[in-house]
Amino acid sequence: MSEGRGIFWGKSWRPAFAGLLFVCSIGVEAADSNSSAPPFAAVFLRWVSVPKETNRVTLEVSGLGADTLATLQSTNWPAANWPRLLSVFVEQPGIEPLPMIGTHRVENAQLRFTPAFPLEPGLRYRAVFDAGQLPRAATTTAGKLTTTLTVPARPERTTTTVTQVYPSADVLPENLLKFYLHFSAPMSRGSIYEHIRLLNEANQPVELPFLELAEELWSADRMRLTLFIDPGRIKREVKPLEEIGPTLQAGKRFTLVIGRGWKDAEGNRLKDSFTKRFFVGPPDREPPDPQRWSYQAPPIRTREPLAVDMAKPMDAALAVRMIHVLDATGRAVAGQALLMERERVWKFLPQQVWKPGRYTLVVETAIEDLAGNNIGKAFEVELNEGAPRRLEQSTVRLPFELR
Amino acid sequence: MLNRMKLKNLLTTSFALALLAGAVSAANWTAGMTEGKVALKSAGPITFGPDGILFVADTKAAAIIAIATGDTQAGAAKTFKIEGINQKIAALLGTAADQILIDDLAVNPVSHAAYLAVTRGRGAGATPVLVRVKGDGQPEVVSLDKLKHARAELPDAPVEGVQGEGKKQSNPRQESITDLAFFQDRLLVAGLSNEEFSSALRAIPFPFQKVVNGTSVEIYHGAHGKFETRSPIRTFVPFMVGNEPQLLAAYTCTPLVQFPLSDIKPAAKIKGKTIAELGNRNRPLDMIVYHKDGKDWLLLANNSRGVMKIATDHIAGADAITAPVGGGGTQGLKYETIESWKGIEQLDKLDDAHALVLRRGEAGALHLESLPLP
Repeated sequence: MSEGRGIFWGKSWRPAFAGLLFVCSIGVEAADSNSSAPPFAAVFLRWVSVPKETNRVTLEVSGLGADTLATLQSTNWPAANWPRLLSVFVEQPGIEPLPMIGTHRVENAQLRFTPAFPLEPGLRYRAVFDAGQLPRAATTTAGKLTTTLTVPARPERTTTTVTQVYPSADVLPENLLKFYLHFSAPMSRGSIYEHIRLLNEANQPVELPFLELAEELWSADRMRLTLFIDPGRIKREVKPLEEIGPTLQAGKRFTLVIGRGWKDAEGNRLKDSFTKRFFVGPPDREPPDPQRWSYQAPPIRTREPLAVDMAKPMDAALAVRMIHVLDATGRAVAGQALLMERERVWKFLPQQVWKPGRYTLVVETAIEDLAGNNIGKAFEVELNEGAPRRLEQSTVRLPFELR
Repeated sequence: MLNRMKLKNLLTTSFALALLAGAVSAANWTAGMTEGKVALKSAGPITFGPDGILFVADTKAAAIIAIATGDTQAGAAKTFKIEGINQKIAALLGTAADQILIDDLAVNPVSHAAYLAVTRGRGAGATPVLVRVKGDGQPEVVSLDKLKHARAELPDAPVEGVQGEGKKQSNPRQESITDLAFFQDRLLVAGLSNEEFSSALRAIPFPFQKVVNGTSVEIYHGAHGKFETRSPIRTFVPFMVGNEPQLLAAYTCTPLVQFPLSDIKPAAKIKGKTIAELGNRNRPLDMIVYHKDGKDWLLLANNSRGVMKIATDHIAGADAITAPVGGGGTQGLKYETIESWKGIEQLDKLDDAHALVLRRGEAGALHLESLPLP
């Protein structure tokens, strides 16, 4: 901080970050001492937290002369010059530093830079103010102020678990089409398949059992993942099935394993790994048939559930979504659907008490059983006998009456 | 992810057709767009249309957003190789490389700049970002603050005969967009549901008016002697067979299927013609069409094997595969596996002689590089 350098610096860190502890160091990397009448007396560079926003910061440069600030604010100052003047870099060994994107502005007699994104826990950031890049800097002064900031890593809290896997049955058809994995909290995206394994009876991993989709079929809340068995390993007379065999084989036991290294949306690993052991039965190629469903009528003037036995376990997500109860006027009865008995029984809890009268159960034909068979159309349709069977209507209607 | 603009060398043809048909003139492509901040909840597949218009699939919002990027200055393609593009993007966005997901790559056919659909973060605060790489090889973030854009919502089809809000519970069904392509005056969108195993293909007129329902496309698998099944489309390209625009679609268990674009109408059921069976351990990721040595070729990227180069000169006369393919043999169109193109995760055509690829290297690094078309 010798005189004549044109830049002075001070302890600029104000430890006002809510929930953050920062390590801060400041130093001049280069300075030019032959300046005359610098345009400022002292320049301070400091990080300031953005109120109420986690890990959001603004970088403030104070002590610049009014003329300098006016030039920076003027339209003559090219936007491309900003990053050379004031920037924030992530410090990572072996990686070329590039200035973080963000917004530069002049306000309250200060030059400010706000990075476009919050800072990440566990990373170290370096802010650089290069006075040599100031307007008319060459004749006045040059020098860099730097200050670094390390955002503490978040302590890991392993609380998230796998809460349910559908189908919930212990015996599954050889041509099972999918699993649904439910988690207790939102999960992270990217490279998920490395955490999912299917083991055979000898506890050896089955090779490429699942359809690995970069899209990762999550629900909107990221708490449910849809996991398709590779259809090439289910469909008859296709090469994958002929060459490497089916994913699941009737008469054998398998185990679905979810590794605990899978991270939730907060970056924490799962509390525990999860296993589902099951036995594989013969393939199911029979389309579900609502004519064979039976129902248990609830007593009128109660909110007892309407129960429908669907004769075999159905796809958990589709059974909840694709069965509707309509009243005599054709309006959907408000209520909640849930599945019981290993997804074989569909129950409907009405919001209001049942009134006597005629009702209709409407089932969308796109509903699937565990093997992807739809109403009126099996997953695979034999073509031997001319054109395949086609079910043109999109719903099947089952009338019933409550008295 | 992987999908892309398939305009490519079809562009000239499609413009010619558009002009012949008296379709929308180039000046009108931004008609009906509003200028302002483009709100994206997610950025899935992307593809270019005419005049620097970028289509972005926002799966989370169940919408497609057309963005006039303003990147309309014609420019020659430059070949380059950027090592660790994910690390560079991470630096720009102030995070670590493992927090960067690159969901798609598209080249603007006018300026030849590369656009990447990027997500910063894997968790709750994940933010979609568009990154552009021009000929200088430096990635830059595309500001979405003030751009002309238009939006097409992709609503769920209503259930026939069911009125009123029956169930109050939240609907976890979501449709992922697996591929997009612009053709003539339509945006073609292939989707994959996280519940039902079916194939939805939509043709959305552009400029956007209203969204038509998904066209359900049925597939007959080539190596299936006896069986017909449904399956979602992974990736597709529009392609002219003679004078008729066709769609070539690769499915999740790798048959290549052709059907006429004119068949894609709301609620239509189409049976595609299987023209090639591409074998096991071979999940199609992305496809482009290019012209070389007087012929049109298809280039199909797969998840674990090399890229496949497929001759198209027999497509017009190709027979549908209707009998089982025995003994592990191949049937239908001939293809050659380009073994050296390993680890390709994204693919688009850079210019007439080059592809631009995103290739997975060691330690998770992703490289953006141009490769001469095989």
